[in-house]
Amino acid sequence: MSATHHHHEEQDFLFKYIFSQDHKMISKQFLITGFLMGFIGMVMSTLFRLQLGFPGESFWAIDFFLGSWAENGVMAPDKYLALVTMHGTIMVFFLLTAGLSGTFSNLLIPLQIGARDMASGFLNMLSYWFFFVSSVIMLISLGVEGGAASAGWTIYPPLSALPQAIPGSGLGMTLWLVAMAIFIASSLLGSLNYIVTILNLRTKGMTMTRLPLTIWAFLVTAILGVLSFPVLLSAALLLIFDRSFGTSFYLSDIYIGGQVLEHSGGSPILFEHLFWFLGHPEVYIVLLPALGITSEIVSTMSRKPIFGYRAMVTSILAIAFLSVIVWGHHMFVTGMNPFLGAVFTFTTLLIAIPSAVKVFNYITTLWKGNIIFSPAMLFSIGLVSTFISGGVTGLILGDSALDINIHDTYFVVGHFHIVMGLSAIFGMFAGVYHWFPKMFGRMMNNTLGFFHFWITIVCAYGVFFPMHFLGLAGVPRRYYTNSEFPLFENMIDINELVTWFAIVAAFAQLLFVFNFFYSALRGPRSSQNPWRANSLEWTAPVEHIHGNWPGEIPEVHRWAYDYSKVDENGEYISGEDFISQVVPLGPNEKDGGH
Amino acid sequence: MTTIVLENNDYKKEIKQKTAKPLLWIGLVSIVMFFAGLTSAVIVSKGTAVWESIQIPSAFAISTVFILLSSLTFYLGENSLKNNNIARAKIFILATLILGLLFSITQYLAWTELYKNGVVWAGSESSAAGSYFYALTALHLLHLLGGLISLLVVSFKSMKERYNEENLLGVQLSSTYWHFLTALWVYLYLFLIFIA
Repeated sequence: MSATHHHHEEQDFLFKYIFSQDHKMISKQFLITGFLMGFIGMVMSTLFRLQLGFPGESFWAIDFFLGSWAENGVMAPDKYLALVTMHGTIMVFFLLTAGLSGTFSNLLIPLQIGARDMASGFLNMLSYWFFFVSSVIMLISLGVEGGAASAGWTIYPPLSALPQAIPGSGLGMTLWLVAMAIFIASSLLGSLNYIVTILNLRTKGMTMTRLPLTIWAFLVTAILGVLSFPVLLSAALLLIFDRSFGTSFYLSDIYIGGQVLEHSGGSPILFEHLFWFLGHPEVYIVLLPALGITSEIVSTMSRKPIFGYRAMVTSILAIAFLSVIVWGHHMFVTGMNPFLGAVFTFTTLLIAIPSAVKVFNYITTLWKGNIIFSPAMLFSIGLVSTFISGGVTGLILGDSALDINIHDTYFVVGHFHIVMGLSAIFGMFAGVYHWFPKMFGRMMNNTLGFFHFWITIVCAYGVFFPMHFLGLAGVPRRYYTNSEFPLFENMIDINELVTWFAIVAAFAQLLFVFNFFYSALRGPRSSQNPWRANSLEWTAPVEHIHGNWPGEIPEVHRWAYDYSKVDENGEYISGEDFISQVVPLGPNEKDGGH
Repeated sequence: MTTIVLENNDYKKEIKQKTAKPLLWIGLVSIVMFFAGLTSAVIVSKGTAVWESIQIPSAFAISTVFILLSSLTFYLGENSLKNNNIARAKIFILATLILGLLFSITQYLAWTELYKNGVVWAGSESSAAGSYFYALTALHLLHLLGGLISLLVVSFKSMKERYNEENLLGVQLSSTYWHFLTALWVYLYLFLIFIA
């Protein structure tokens, strides 16, 4: 023992904090990097909301953040496009894919299944560093000549395929593609690890039906990643070939500035097919981890078993399966055969069923529960709310006949920000508040958490709810300004309101930032199991150690949701309202998961 | 924070033994999806754009033979190791390496043949059909380069007699990847003949 002890004592800063192969440290790296990117993405959105709410007006903040991009404090139109593109890219991929999965899959998979670490610590480290490099390149692309990529986060060709098309199609676009290729490598390395760890390294007694729902969600998310990200890589590669080597995969006969280009024979629609084959599962790559986190928190904080465990697992699987066969609903206006459109409408509407099962189960778990309104619980309930209100508009957009009318309007922006953006970020906030003690050994401040939640949810609805009305009135997304069109003159008030909500929401996030860093350094020390929860991570010591448990890994005897379990006399079986997974079943006791 | 140290710190080796193969397999799934994306792109392009059919270079037939043979020799080499016949294993593994290199060279010859037939990769003379030909085969070869590097390591280690019937993991990983590349090539070859 003494030899290894010395080894650890001498482990220097570089390998403990920078090139760590320990899943708990990598999880924190993902969290900090992801949040940093998210913060940048949020500042971008606040800035372009200023332009949308007060078009053409000069702002100190725009001048301060954008400098030469905004003469006299007014955002330049091409920079507006760059900001919108980068906001989407950063939020979808860097915050809600890598930030969310990277943080919680890394933290929770080994701890909740009872493993010493990930399947490959080395690949896990690579996964983080690829993510980091990709983030850096993406940020650098903001500063290059011509500015960052400006074709929207979906980077449709021909805008993205012809470097001479718009300023943002130049070097910025190239760097976007390079950054995304590295990002995909990072995501794949992560997913490989998550899947193999869950399938191969579960502790004794941890059958698949005893896994916490977080783990099920992470597993299916990782599988979706392995199936869909390589397809995005193939799409991106063909785009790189078109841009830089003169091939014509996505380009057909095309003129620019009256000049005929030598491209012929390609199809820009092909890119949409490939992109959305990733793009739609990506929605669930973002969402499922948040749903998993919510399952865990809703059950723990209601002091009740999760309602319908098997139905929850089945609906995760059903959502994942359906998500791979619905990509065409993003392409109803591409001249798609109406019959094919009907098929995609059908598969899309089917997703409502497993989604409704999940919502029903969350609400039933809350029903008559002994609810503890911690900030994590509030954000989880917030997720259930946004998942419903955003999901309902999904039914409208999923129907091809309705979608054609509101395609590319603010209705779409409102829909996906609520159902995907808000739900996922609420899940992420919930996860941070809930597992903060596990990450840092300290507690976050509840009062600040309450303020953070209430301001955020009110403002978030204030931002995205009115957008549906803008969209129904026909206001198109991605336009630099809508004040030029007499048709939309009476919409300016709504845009102004939305902007005010966005500003307040952005400032509210500072409460979280402060709470996070202050608590990590000065927060009250946490006990080993502060939420009195059942799952395995709370049986590990508060101090982080390599290998997670001193001595043997605990054996599991029951599922993770034995809350408020009573015997035939109505008394708590364990004398308390929770029973850890490591407690053996009593003589007449049945395991809830089976 | 105090540091608590595990009594038994050998878990990393145990984890590796348990997970190296599944990691590779799921990695292969992602490569399958990558090529599935590309080949379905061919099908979509064929349906929507001007499409010219392209004469398959004869060198591809030869390279197919080479890669099939290389899989056979790798299989025999691995089997010899399992039977602890180290001397025989060395020969087969080296033969695999040579066949792999021959495959790569023939791929290059096939491209020159394509080029002579007027099929170009890019520019005004190019067509999407021709570009796909180069892209698919080159991306396969890129993956094969990884296989060749792992084969080099395996050849080197087998020359040094580092493998035996108990210590096979490295060979097994390398051979799984190699057989996968063979299967992938056969798929691409048939795809190019019958679909593209």
